[in-house]
Amino acid sequence: MNGTAPVESTTHTAAVLEGRELTKSFWVKRGRGPLARKARVHAVESVTVRLDAGKVTALVGESGAGKTTIARMLANIIKPDTGEVLLDGVPAPKGRPKSYAAKVQMVFQDPFASLNPVHRVRHQLVRPLEIHHIADGHVEQAAEELLRRVALEPAAHYLRKFPYELSGGQRQRVSIARALAVRPRVLLADEPVSMLDVSIRLGVLNLLADLRDREHLAILYVTHDIASARYLADTIIVMYAGQLVEAAPSVSLTDHAAHPYTQLLLSAAPDPDRGEAPKLAGRGGPPSLLAPPSGCRFHPRCPYAMDICKRQVPPSFAVSSGHIAACWLHADSAQRGADENGLFRPVADHSAKTQ
Amino acid sequence: MTIAPTSLTEVAPAGGPGSVAFHRTRILRLPRSPKVIAGLVIMGLFGVVAVIGRWAAPYSPNATDEKNWVQHVLVAGTGPGTPFPANYYPLPLPPSAAHWLGTTVFAQDALSQVLASTQATLFVGLLAAAIATVLSVLFGVTAGYVGGGTDEGLSLVANVFLAIPGLPLLIVLADYVPSAGSSILLVGAIIAVTTWAYSARTLRAQTLSLRNRDFVEAARVSGEGRLRIIMVEVLPNLVPIVAASFLFTTLAAIGAYVAIAFLGLAGSPTSYPPGLWNWGEMLREGFANNAVRGGWWWWWAPPGIAVALLGTGLALLNFGIDEFINPRLRSAGLSRKAARKAGISASSRLGLTPVARSVWDAPSPASKVAHASAADPVLEIRGLCVDYGVGDDAVHAVMDCDLVLRRGQVLGLAGESGSGKTTLALSAIRLLRPPGVITAGQVLFHSKPISGDGPTGTIDLLAAGQRQLREVRWSEIAVVLQSALDSLNPVITIGAQFDDLLRVHRPHLSHDERWNRAGELLEMVGMNADRLRSYAHELSGGMRQRAMIAMAIALEPQVIILDEPTTALDVVTQREILEELIGLRDRIGFATLFITHDLSLLVELADEIAVMYAGRLMERAPAASLFHAPRLPYTHGLLHCFPPLHGARVAMEGIPGSPPDLRDLPSGCAFHPRCRWAMQRCSEERPQLAQLNGSDREVACWLHAGDAVVPAELAQPDPASRRPERMDAATRVSEL
Ligand SMILES: Nc1ncnc2c1ncn2[C@@H]1O[C@H](COP(=O)(O)OP(=O)(O)OP(=O)(O)O)[C@@H](O)[C@H]1O
Ligand code: SF4
Ligand code: SF4
Ligand SMILES: [Mg+2]
Repeated sequence: MNGTAPVESTTHTAAVLEGRELTKSFWVKRGRGPLARKARVHAVESVTVRLDAGKVTALVGESGAGKTTIARMLANIIKPDTGEVLLDGVPAPKGRPKSYAAKVQMVFQDPFASLNPVHRVRHQLVRPLEIHHIADGHVEQAAEELLRRVALEPAAHYLRKFPYELSGGQRQRVSIARALAVRPRVLLADEPVSMLDVSIRLGVLNLLADLRDREHLAILYVTHDIASARYLADTIIVMYAGQLVEAAPSVSLTDHAAHPYTQLLLSAAPDPDRGEAPKLAGRGGPPSLLAPPSGCRFHPRCPYAMDICKRQVPPSFAVSSGHIAACWLHADSAQRGADENGLFRPVADHSAKTQ
Repeated sequence: MTIAPTSLTEVAPAGGPGSVAFHRTRILRLPRSPKVIAGLVIMGLFGVVAVIGRWAAPYSPNATDEKNWVQHVLVAGTGPGTPFPANYYPLPLPPSAAHWLGTTVFAQDALSQVLASTQATLFVGLLAAAIATVLSVLFGVTAGYVGGGTDEGLSLVANVFLAIPGLPLLIVLADYVPSAGSSILLVGAIIAVTTWAYSARTLRAQTLSLRNRDFVEAARVSGEGRLRIIMVEVLPNLVPIVAASFLFTTLAAIGAYVAIAFLGLAGSPTSYPPGLWNWGEMLREGFANNAVRGGWWWWWAPPGIAVALLGTGLALLNFGIDEFINPRLRSAGLSRKAARKAGISASSRLGLTPVARSVWDAPSPASKVAHASAADPVLEIRGLCVDYGVGDDAVHAVMDCDLVLRRGQVLGLAGESGSGKTTLALSAIRLLRPPGVITAGQVLFHSKPISGDGPTGTIDLLAAGQRQLREVRWSEIAVVLQSALDSLNPVITIGAQFDDLLRVHRPHLSHDERWNRAGELLEMVGMNADRLRSYAHELSGGMRQRAMIAMAIALEPQVIILDEPTTALDVVTQREILEELIGLRDRIGFATLFITHDLSLLVELADEIAVMYAGRLMERAPAASLFHAPRLPYTHGLLHCFPPLHGARVAMEGIPGSPPDLRDLPSGCAFHPRCRWAMQRCSEERPQLAQLNGSDREVACWLHAGDAVVPAELAQPDPASRRPERMDAATRVSEL
């Protein structure tokens, strides 16, 4: 790969879970019948993600950007084509052994689909405890304790409920409790609030923040809502069409977006405080992943596209400490080094307005 | 990082007794439906007869009593006075006190035969269904869950069985297996082999879809083994389908058993080794002995009726299961009786929301809205109430809503899911499907067509008839719903759909003119005119929504209702579509009712915003006023649910608790259990939407009535008072 090595992280602790240069494609059938041609969907292309204990890392992007695919690779549900997943520096084992499940857990997008409708909350919490022989002999108390941790009380009352008797926020808390049952060190939350009512989203986000602060979980927060990522996450990774485009501490990323795509996302996000009409930086939709554009996948939409963008995949350049952007615009700034604070500003840089 | 651990204290109130009751009713719903009760009664009767019929029968089914019971008729041309010896033949006796269903030609009691036959018939049916169900579950679930080569192999086997015509195979098998005649076990097994494949295919498809569901994935992530996932997570979800296919197979098996017995292949009680009495056998004997031509209906009709009745019973039960699986069927349509009782007009046809008769009789409510007459209203909703269902079960989804949409204005309707936004909008133009019923109110449409020959003047949409509504809908009031895929016709091209629309409403246009116009419309919403040749499924979500908007503006309506038009789309696409929409609004001048749960979006987009909570409008104000100076605690809370994109990061609270269940609304102000500033009065009396001292805004909250102290958060200076009351569109857009 042409130099997508991530910039040295500012933290010195080792990552709990790391996905290195993950690449994944799926084969889909085009047409019907036995003569159907198979086509390759390039869902994720060489993306590196690291999750640290006590930190929330947000993965932001439009639908189809490959966010869920990355979460599923990190959860060891699907295998990357190339690249590797490292848990505590050790490559993830083949198959799906319990030892991996005990450390890495996942929370799904749709709380209405992720709890089995025919079983009571009790079953959903007790099963993981039984599978991993946690709290043998007093699973009931352990299940109640889990519900208390996600602020569902009286716990005994909720244990008896069926999923459809709970509100969306309550269900999402139950599925977080289920993920916590095995005492994992990593929580992969795939759009945990996007299906919830606006008024209860913050409750769930605050719960995740709380788990990070109090229990030092490493959390991956997958979302398409960059404002909520800014609120919750320590680090934000922005993806576009299967590629990582920018990664930085969250305030730095939203306040000094360095990649044209991130700037586009920010300019399109609803923002009542905005004084003037947002000027969309670039138009059109994401590309087909069957035949993604050459070079930088954003180039057909990018207002600053240059010749090199069509020919070569941009590597990640450091734009400031801990802030990387995969964009040729930052090529020289990377060479200049961090002394000028590195941030490249094209003439009509949107990020200038957000300050 | 400054996020404090806050959420742990804001414990949502326990689901409460309401939700428990809901669960119970769902379980109890199955036997309550009259259809299911009828089915259960029928099946129960057959069950009893199957068990005790043989012993309860007044006679033995084989016992003949030729001497006493059968009339002997002398064959013509024989007997005394002819050269031939007397020759008699027997005649079955019609029903009498001794033989309730008469007798057969062999002087056997028909009732006893029917009773005795029930057992074997039902037994074979149930046995075959049981074997077939086990087979289909094994094949279907394994194929569906394991997938890959296993799936292909098993599916091939099932397809082979499906392709073989069942009955001929059955006949051949029954004929070749020597002891089939006497062994009903074997007959049952043979029938099962010929019927399992169909259910297996259904179960495979269902398992396939369950396999990728999140809860199965979650079980996998938690380290659950494969077998347990199938048994504990997947199978219980298939129970209704397995039950339905069991009933279906029972019916098919009984049909097959009757058929092969009728053909004489299931063993006859008179053959050796003797078979068992069954309905097919009765029919066979009857037909073989001229029962039909002889008019001896009491012989052949009862087994026929029994088959039909059993089929009905099973079908009714099946219907109950269907209803149970698919809750939408449960509430589909109002029963005629219930509707009459509620005084609902009979015209509850599709696409015409029923209106309770009392609505028409009621004197038109005096306009409660002070500003209603101001600034050229185009759509005026007054005191609108909408229920789902009638009688005690009715859910009041919209209560007493007043809303005025002015010409050229964007009116935002915000609220959480279930607060009644869509119900309000759809019922106002009578597009809400039953069981939605409008129980009160008025919807006045002040029509001044922009183009075309639409009606002018004021129309009460709730009193309007089918024809009048048809004139107004789409050409004067257009609707764009959240899911454009459902609204676009999947089988014809986008262009053909424009063509249909324009041909009906703009008859003077030629074909080419229509096509060109359609192309122009697509370009107006930022699509290439080539897309006219595409089908809906070939377009991305954003393009479909654009095409829908293009169709909505095709006839230059005065009002466009947009129900969450961009919720399913990415932010960038959403922003592009909204920009186009505002541009079109400025060009054409339609008024927009924009429904969304995303208040932050509305603040940028709308002139005026109305906030709904639990079926009621709670606050209405110019967008800037609502954003900078909310007066309602709920609006204040909602505005603080959207983390900002800049500035320092601070912990935010959201709103504690969760939105209420409409079946079980809190007393007084429905928001009081979640309200920071709730007072004693709030749980006792319901606040009314009232104008706020002289301003152009309304709020329903006790804090702003009487001498309550308004908290500082809700007493920010109103920015609207410093601005001209209503900006014209051009300045507004440039300010946006
Ligand atoms: N099992 C699969 N088979 C074929 N294609 C797939 C599969 N899973 C994902 N894809 C494709 O991979 C791409 C990335 O999908 P992914 O679900 O990771 O996106 P996402 O960013 O999570 O989107 P969303 O926000 O809609 O959930 C998409 O083009 C998707 O269609
Ligand atoms: S690499 Fe080129 S095309 Fe890609 S975002 Fe940067 S400037 Fe635009
Ligand atoms: S009426 Fe009372 S409970 Fe309702 S919003 Fe106002 S203060 Fe809160
Ligand atoms: Mg996703």
